[in-house]
Amino acid sequence: MADLLDRFAPLMAQRDALFNENGADPFQVKMDEVLSQTEAVIEGRRTILVGTNNYLGLTFAPEALDAAHAALDAYGTGTTGSRVANGTYGGHKELEQALCDFYGMKHAMVFSTGFLANLGILSTLMGPEDYILMDADCHASIYDGVRGSQAQIIRFKHNDAADLDKRLARLAGKPGNKLIVVEGIYSMLGDRAPLKEIVAVKKKYENVFLLSDEAHSLGVLGKYGRGLPEEVGCEEDVDFIVGTFSKSVGTVGGFCVSNHPQFDTLRLVCRAYVFTASLPPSVVASATVNLGLVQKGGALRKRLMRNAKKLQTGLSALGLQVASEDSPVVAVVAPDPQTAAVFWRGLIEAGVYVNLALPPATPFGYSLLRASLCAAHTEEQIDDVIAIFADVASRLGLIAPAEPQRTAVG
Amino acid sequence: MSAHKPGEPSPETMAALIEIIGPFNKTGAELKPETRFSEDLNFDSLVVMEFIAVVEDHFDISVPLNILPDIATLNHMGLAIEKIVSDDAS
Repeated sequence: MADLLDRFAPLMAQRDALFNENGADPFQVKMDEVLSQTEAVIEGRRTILVGTNNYLGLTFAPEALDAAHAALDAYGTGTTGSRVANGTYGGHKELEQALCDFYGMKHAMVFSTGFLANLGILSTLMGPEDYILMDADCHASIYDGVRGSQAQIIRFKHNDAADLDKRLARLAGKPGNKLIVVEGIYSMLGDRAPLKEIVAVKKKYENVFLLSDEAHSLGVLGKYGRGLPEEVGCEEDVDFIVGTFSKSVGTVGGFCVSNHPQFDTLRLVCRAYVFTASLPPSVVASATVNLGLVQKGGALRKRLMRNAKKLQTGLSALGLQVASEDSPVVAVVAPDPQTAAVFWRGLIEAGVYVNLALPPATPFGYSLLRASLCAAHTEEQIDDVIAIFADVASRLGLIAPAEPQRTAVG
Repeated sequence: MSAHKPGEPSPETMAALIEIIGPFNKTGAELKPETRFSEDLNFDSLVVMEFIAVVEDHFDISVPLNILPDIATLNHMGLAIEKIVSDDAS
């Protein structure tokens, strides 16, 4: 009889082949000390963090720390209950109101993580007669969410509004509502949805709704940080925004906001909302404070994008293939998973942490060294990161050595 | 369409399907109605998605993800395609 987990043997063999020698394993990184938003101690080394999605660097915002400490002392370490039982405190309602004010929307629901927000909303929103049309490159939480839905699930080609149009045309005349699902910024390469084109397609048809997952664009895009819809000026055409507090907001938790008049119905039927414990009061307090900092964070956004541009330009100039542009994500394409793994290890041993992202989690089957910038990175840190990339990449033969080697004389 | 047995897709559908699978057939398995995607062709989830995208383009249809768990063989795929094509036409 096969063991319970034998079916994962090929995956484990693949992992062992990539990380069989002693040394750092990207799936088992341990931060022994966190020195700041941009530095930690890993394996005894001071390491520059360039892969934390901590876009605005708010994890140590003094105002949020104060609010979290106060909430911790006043309300304890956890609510030990669901939002619909004993787990809704005043702070949870204040956070939902803060989200309504931030987005200018009528309704907001706070979930315990961003993953749960997608799981809950996408599995519940559409019924058996309905259709969900999702971008093929959507996040795992969206795939898992729609899998729990009774609707028909149709994928359209990544960022291809014409392909979406074709698929909606095939459904025209069929009963049932349609929900388009996109992301403001796609996490792996940091590219944006063509939201204006998507909205134009949406408007051609009846009974079509639009949901945008703003996980990576909240706080990053738009004058006030409201993400891609604000940036491109089509906020009123996005019916549902899902987001997370675990990136630019600097803590953990998820949410959905909407103007749908019956939105609050979802509080009773979203299983990922009903059947899980609510966020701890200290997390709620820090999220509320940081949301305000996100709104006022125009200067942070400028620094973030300047930092990203500097890293993207620097790595491209080395001759590396950078698959990101105009994005807080800077993804370097390695030729294959094996090279990517060795590259990643070279970086970590030299004191740079980025994400290693391998297929099938990546588009185009790319093997990626995925960096994400922070507003708190200094120019010196980015220069160091570029120099370390240069060193590791040239040792791997991916680029020519940066400077001519000194030749021995005589 | 030419006559074919009930429970089987038309020879035209099957021929088109076999042509589409060609580049995806890394195991060199014989392509017939009972050929299985997972066991015979070694398709993993990623290949399935790429393959479905080509099927969708070729037949000008959308294949809902919901039906994928029920599609184990070329025969199942062919029948599913024909059902979607006829639903779209109605």
